[in-house]
Amino acid sequence: MDAKDIEREENDELPVIDGELLEVSAEDEIELGVDEERAVQEKVQTKAAIRQLKGKDKIEQNSKAYLQYLFLPFIFLTVALLGGLRIGIDGGEFLFFRPALICLVFAVLLMLLFFRAKLIVFDSWFSYEFSALRNMANGAVFVSLFAASTQIFNSLIPEQGLPFWVVGFCFFWTLWNNLFAQFETQRLLKSLGGLFGFAFFAKYLVLSNLVSAEQGSWLSRIWQDPAKEAVTYFLDLPRFSSATGYIQFFALVFFLIGLFFIKPKMEDRSAQN
Amino acid sequence: MKEKHIQILSVVLTLVYGVCVAWLYWAAPKNLEEVSSKARHTIESATTKAKVVTKTYEVDRVKFDEGLKAFRNENFILARDLFERADKQKLDSRTQFYIAYSYYRQGWGRFSNNDELFQKALESVNRVTRLDENFKANDPGLKLSTPVELKNELEEGLRVTADDFNPFKFTRERK
Repeated sequence: MDAKDIEREENDELPVIDGELLEVSAEDEIELGVDEERAVQEKVQTKAAIRQLKGKDKIEQNSKAYLQYLFLPFIFLTVALLGGLRIGIDGGEFLFFRPALICLVFAVLLMLLFFRAKLIVFDSWFSYEFSALRNMANGAVFVSLFAASTQIFNSLIPEQGLPFWVVGFCFFWTLWNNLFAQFETQRLLKSLGGLFGFAFFAKYLVLSNLVSAEQGSWLSRIWQDPAKEAVTYFLDLPRFSSATGYIQFFALVFFLIGLFFIKPKMEDRSAQN
Repeated sequence: MKEKHIQILSVVLTLVYGVCVAWLYWAAPKNLEEVSSKARHTIESATTKAKVVTKTYEVDRVKFDEGLKAFRNENFILARDLFERADKQKLDSRTQFYIAYSYYRQGWGRFSNNDELFQKALESVNRVTRLDENFKANDPGLKLSTPVELKNELEEGLRVTADDFNPFKFTRERK
């Protein structure tokens, strides 16, 4: 009996099982592997999406912070710089007009108006719960806004004489009335735009055209345009170069742009970060 | 950039820009050239004031010596200019005494004194008294070595009396 015969005998003793041979365990492993891979991929994708969203959010937050803390003070201080600047008619020299006391009073009234119309929500700008740095940064924006407001009145109110009192009284009347009116932020901005625009028109287009811009001696100016010279004398209006009007136009535009970009509520994103 | 850093930057830049704007309205330069010259002057003045506060203020020795030389050469206008530049804050009693003395000597006349210059000398000598009550000049060339003597001489010069018409007075000497 050789080895082959022995093997055949052993095989004959084994029970015969009918059925198909299936490699179940191997396929399961593959399917499980695919699921895991998919789950991992999904996880990675979700993470990437979150990261992207976070990144976008961060960029957006940063750009908002740049706008609030750098752009606004810059634009308001530029208005403060330009608001009192006039250009002399004779030599084109710079004339820096310091604001009259009434301009400060008007600026205070305007600030009150901003608070009442919720253009600035005080509690979200200043609070003891905020860090000192945040309060200071918001304070810097606020102070620059106050300086710009003062200078915009300095720009729009005639420098001296009867027009100073007339335009000053009109401003006071309007601001005082507005103080007790119900205002929305948008309506306030529109109203201020209209008010300042009209004042600009009155001063730099009407009054400045009434004033004699002629150079030379008093006698020669009377000879050239007696009516204008008389109005200049009676209204006691100072004579400036036409460049003054252009400068003040940009000062007013910058001020209104600044107001448009003011955030009523300063968000605290540093806490979220 | 973190928001904290932006806020710090905001405060710093607002302060710097705000100070620049305030300075422009204070100095009121007429043109761009004046901006730089006035800025230089302001910085110099601020530095001197800081020296006064920290008690390290000193007169400019070189200018003072030049002024003294001009004073001894009877060039009082130049001397005064140099003394004033040497003691910009008007805090040195010795320099102020020389300024007063230069007004006195320039304003003194054998027949009549220049009242305007004598008045300015009085202002300067009063400043010396305020700065140092016990001041005494060590210069042998100055016959009036204390502020009291100089003040008396100036007040006498400003007063119109009958003695002014005394013909023998024309022989008096400048001190």
